[in-house]
Amino acid sequence: MNVYILSVLFSVIFLLVVVELMRRRWLLEQYSLFWLVMGLVILVLSLFHGWLNQVAASLGIFYAPSLLFFVGFLFMLGITLHLTVVLSRLTVRTVRIVQEVAILRAELDKYKVEPEQSRSE
Amino acid sequence: MLKNKALIIIPAYNEEKTVGQVVRDIYSIISRVDVLVVSDGSTDATAKEAKAAGAFVIELPVNLGIGGAMQTGYRYAAEEEYEYAVQVDADGQHDPKDLPKLLAEAEKKDANLIIGSRYVTKTGYQSTYARRFGMIMLSRFVQMAVGYPVKDTTSGYRVADRRVIQLFRDYYPLDYPEVEVLVLLHRYHVKIKEISVEMRERQAGRSSITMLKSVYYMFKVTLAIGIEVLRIQTIRRDGSV
Repeated sequence: MNVYILSVLFSVIFLLVVVELMRRRWLLEQYSLFWLVMGLVILVLSLFHGWLNQVAASLGIFYAPSLLFFVGFLFMLGITLHLTVVLSRLTVRTVRIVQEVAILRAELDKYKVEPEQSRSE
Repeated sequence: MLKNKALIIIPAYNEEKTVGQVVRDIYSIISRVDVLVVSDGSTDATAKEAKAAGAFVIELPVNLGIGGAMQTGYRYAAEEEYEYAVQVDADGQHDPKDLPKLLAEAEKKDANLIIGSRYVTKTGYQSTYARRFGMIMLSRFVQMAVGYPVKDTTSGYRVADRRVIQLFRDYYPLDYPEVEVLVLLHRYHVKIKEISVEMRERQAGRSSITMLKSVYYMFKVTLAIGIEVLRIQTIRRDGSV
């Protein structure tokens, strides 16, 4: 079994996993689109590895599959950066919500206490 | 409910030993202020102690860190339209005796942010050489960024006016905020003034900045200053303020 067959197999399984995650709503469409495109790109590149060989040769890469890994690596770098951007945005939102909830709750307690005090007078 | 002009914000994370005393000390020195304690997801009796001492308490359901807790206070101050917000540490490091002096300075209205500083004139405050070196470095960085000297950049004893309250409501750094906000405020042409205060030894607990953390602290703060400076230049190129 050579590396091309392996990567065809891998990308098919990968695409199936992504679709299954979407089916169960574990993955939002906005993020799944990214992975679907990536899975398809790997699939096409491994099916028609003649293209890969040509591009690799023109870039001076002797072992064509390493181009595949290189593209994959760049992609992982990109998506990791993207994820930390998303994470930062989520952090800011979480902080904001925690603050709002805490303020609201403290003000609610103020109103809960005051009627009892006036009753006892 | 009667409301005063100034709100004292005390962020506290597990400070049950000192927070009550700090609140009582403040009320005994100055009565025309409201005291707010923001319990930052404390697991001890911080909120209870603060309430017993007469403070209004906001309890964060999870720990946000000093920046997130402080910003909660500023959000509340902005919402309730307080004229001044004063940051005070819960560990007893800041002497409430200086409060009237700091507030009086704010009421002169010639600066938007008043910093209670340890280094304006000689005070009894002592610290280690490494710490002092770090503080001098930060002071230099800030001066390079804003163009005027701020002697005590890390002091958390501060009075903010309405304009600063509004800026902090919209943005406040999550950790180690003191130094970074100076550069942020400069970007909005906020006037800063330092007033000499006495700082006491903390009554309990340790500084949040330990040896290992101080490397991260210096790196984070320097980076934050650098990024703030980049933002200044972006604004100038746009031609807007």
